[in-house]
Amino acid sequence: MAGDSRTIPHRVWRTIASIQTGVVLLILVVILAAVGTIVLQRPVTDPDEMQRAYSPAALRILDKVGLTDVFHSWWFLGLVLLVSISIVAASIDRFPNSWRYYSRPYKYPDEGFRRASHPQKLLAVADEESGLVAAERALHSLGYKPERVVHENNFSVFAERSRISELAVYIVHASLLLIFFGTVVDGIWGWRGTLNLNEGQTSNIVELRDGTTRTLPFAIRCDAAGQENYKDGTPKKWWSKLAVVRDGRDLLKKEIVVNDPLFYSGVRFYQSSYGPNGKVDKLMLVAAPSKGGEKRELGLAVNDTVPLDADTTVRFAEFFPDYAAQDGHVYRKSNDLENPAAHLIVTSKSSGKEFDVWFPEIEGIADNSKAPYFLEATDLKMGYFTGLQVSHEPGQWGVWAGVVLMVVGLAFVFYVVHVRIWVVPVLDLQTGKHSLWIGGSVNRNRDAFEERFDTLVAKVKEELKTMPTASRGEKVAVVAGN
Amino acid sequence: MARAKAEAQQTTTGMTLIVMVGLAIVFLLFMAFLNVVKSGNVLNETNLLFAALIFYAGAGALYLGFGVTGVESYVKFASLATSAGLVANTAAIAHRWYEAGHPPFSSVYEMLLSFVWTLAVLTLVVEKKYGVRVIGTVTMPVAIVGVVLMQLLRTEVHPLVPALQSTWLHVHVTLAMLAYAACALSFALATMFLIQDKMKTETFLAITSSCTVAIYAAVVLTRFEKWGGLSLVAWNPDSKSEVFISKGVRLFVDIPDLGWLMTLALLVVASPLVFYALSRWKKDDSFLTLANRAVFLSILLQVMALSMFLVRAHDGRYSSLDADGLFPTSLAASPFILSGLVGGVFISLLYLLLLWRRPDLERLLPSSDNLDRITYKTISLAFPLLTLMIASGAYWANQTWGSYWSWDPKETWAAITWLVYAGYLHMRITRGWRGRRAAYFAILGFIVVMFTFFGVTYLLPGLHSYA
Repeated sequence: MAGDSRTIPHRVWRTIASIQTGVVLLILVVILAAVGTIVLQRPVTDPDEMQRAYSPAALRILDKVGLTDVFHSWWFLGLVLLVSISIVAASIDRFPNSWRYYSRPYKYPDEGFRRASHPQKLLAVADEESGLVAAERALHSLGYKPERVVHENNFSVFAERSRISELAVYIVHASLLLIFFGTVVDGIWGWRGTLNLNEGQTSNIVELRDGTTRTLPFAIRCDAAGQENYKDGTPKKWWSKLAVVRDGRDLLKKEIVVNDPLFYSGVRFYQSSYGPNGKVDKLMLVAAPSKGGEKRELGLAVNDTVPLDADTTVRFAEFFPDYAAQDGHVYRKSNDLENPAAHLIVTSKSSGKEFDVWFPEIEGIADNSKAPYFLEATDLKMGYFTGLQVSHEPGQWGVWAGVVLMVVGLAFVFYVVHVRIWVVPVLDLQTGKHSLWIGGSVNRNRDAFEERFDTLVAKVKEELKTMPTASRGEKVAVVAGN
Repeated sequence: MARAKAEAQQTTTGMTLIVMVGLAIVFLLFMAFLNVVKSGNVLNETNLLFAALIFYAGAGALYLGFGVTGVESYVKFASLATSAGLVANTAAIAHRWYEAGHPPFSSVYEMLLSFVWTLAVLTLVVEKKYGVRVIGTVTMPVAIVGVVLMQLLRTEVHPLVPALQSTWLHVHVTLAMLAYAACALSFALATMFLIQDKMKTETFLAITSSCTVAIYAAVVLTRFEKWGGLSLVAWNPDSKSEVFISKGVRLFVDIPDLGWLMTLALLVVASPLVFYALSRWKKDDSFLTLANRAVFLSILLQVMALSMFLVRAHDGRYSSLDADGLFPTSLAASPFILSGLVGGVFISLLYLLLLWRRPDLERLLPSSDNLDRITYKTISLAFPLLTLMIASGAYWANQTWGSYWSWDPKETWAAITWLVYAGYLHMRITRGWRGRRAAYFAILGFIVVMFTFFGVTYLLPGLHSYA
């Protein structure tokens, strides 16, 4: 900025603030980001797939230079930091000029400026005052607010519109920095993880991406979860009824769906998956005394014991999601719900006898028909878990504020034009004739402005005609060069 | 005298083309009508889309005729046909919307539907408002390719998976379509600027040939199989989907001998480029004449390659290197090769148009200053739209995946597109870049847009697997 152009700090500053530096940095960001989309990235790829895609030697080199995790590598972050510095420097370098432009509007054009100004027009008028009044009326009728500029012995008129447009580009740059700031805050203080809950379960431990866990100061309870399908069987909706629990009290309850998370004290809980957890919620039974009598419905969870009458109880002893039976033994083949079997024990206190009841009735070991009660399994209700994504992004408000600010800034940059109009009375000393110099300037979109300027001039001419002293003022002189 | 005669002749040929195109439209509509009567189903999407295709094709032919001959009345009928196509297109969108219960933005097919619609609207706007009447010569063929692609892609209404059920998605995709259409327009305008800016015809030769070479090189390099076959993705006609061997791994079938044809086509489309290089190297313009002749030959071969591809890949069963047995394939399984081949022919034809009719084109196009300015204006429209598109996408991602930015390839490339246009604006506003350099920048921007739209979806893996 200030100072001798040959000093080293000054030169460094010039380099940092120059647009060339900014563009070179942006090109580097673009290239590295593109590389990051072509080389497989560790955070989003299976380790196996990485092994398959690259030879061990290549993988070692890629890992070493950080190309397998471009967007979290120090050099990419460093580059983004440099871009930020470049934006700040460029803005600081140019801001004083713009600010001068903004804070001290140029209200009276001197002769040199008038000569070079484009577009401009010279209108013959009867006298200064009638010309200025006509110009003011014309400007008023076009929606401007003209002001009189006072000089030593005469006046001129100045009008402008949307001066803020001069500063719009700084709004955009500031918004970009705000977004960077938000993402950096999230990078440092933010975290993401998952929390899987079975229906009815309460937990406050979140598994983070890097394998560690994080304990929340409050817990989340899943009251219910479910899935709705389309007719063709593809999932339409996943939902979970969640409650925030702290010190044993329910503080907040909400049913979340995929695009509608639960938000509590800076932490968001998103519905991300849903499915069976392989455990039985309840086995529904109908029990009827073998000697005849009233039927009864009951539901049992594993290890539940329920009395059937004063003498007899039934216990849900074992559950196999996928069973195989051999030589009087039942094995668990897998944890998938493929071929389930349930083992219940009916106990009679008075006789001390136990009866093994199996669903399905496995030959050789099942005493289904000998038991004092005839049991019939009507339904197997499986337990489900809901998969929640949990994230804490304290910087996101900066990001959203930045986005809004940027859109506003861009709207100003592209569509709000700073218009300035000057009207200066001119006296030709040789002929003693008065005329009115009208000039205008815009900071962008010049072609459209020229049309509007012509409209203004036409309006001034019209107003001049209605002025009482303007009988001879209709002759129009056009300045050369226009 | 000769001039008057030529003009008179032009008027008569002018009428002939209009009558021919009109008759073709009437004939095709009549045939379609017969079909409709037979099936008894009038207002379904396929019929509407077919009507749109017929009208767009007619408009494209008329716009091309206008580009070549400069007969004014063509434009009038062309915009009429475009409007008619637009009506059918709008009806197709409305029908789809009604059927699906959500705005048509959730699959490649639905997005093409909206993209073509936007393109037609913008064509009419630019033509009427800015007076760039040849714009249809470029945009209508693109719209036609779009509609043809749609006919090939699957058309059933797919229910939306939970992640896509969000108003933000519609906002995001609408903005994307608008932004991309504006980018496409700025590209067309920048190209026209280069024509008006007296860029040498042979430079266009080099550019168009490079494009076709790139297309065929990509096809040959990725799909050429041992002993001259061409491998294409297998297609299951019942489920109307690609065939997968395992998760994410497609089954490829091998069409014999087509690989050789593609290689031959590659060599021939490369020849104009070779002659061009020779002319530059030896500083001998006679090579340029050879190069222009080679362009004809290349068009011939491209048409051959395209028709053989259409015939062989349309249906039939072929063996595969990965599995035993014969598997069917379909054009729908290879939309990108198909659009590449069609695009190659189109690009070469555009070059011929320039070669033959450059003076007429220069007369018809707005001045270079105007084109430069309109290019900037379209980009100053596209840039805020791109910004909003990225922002709405980030907001949606935040609602759905719990993170507003996860550096997935589509996101990254959208950011790259944004940066490229930001670079354009900085160079233009602060460094005063006008004319050629700005035009090159605008063209670069659109190339990046195309890669973001198509390339990322099909070449790079990521979260954006829906579209």
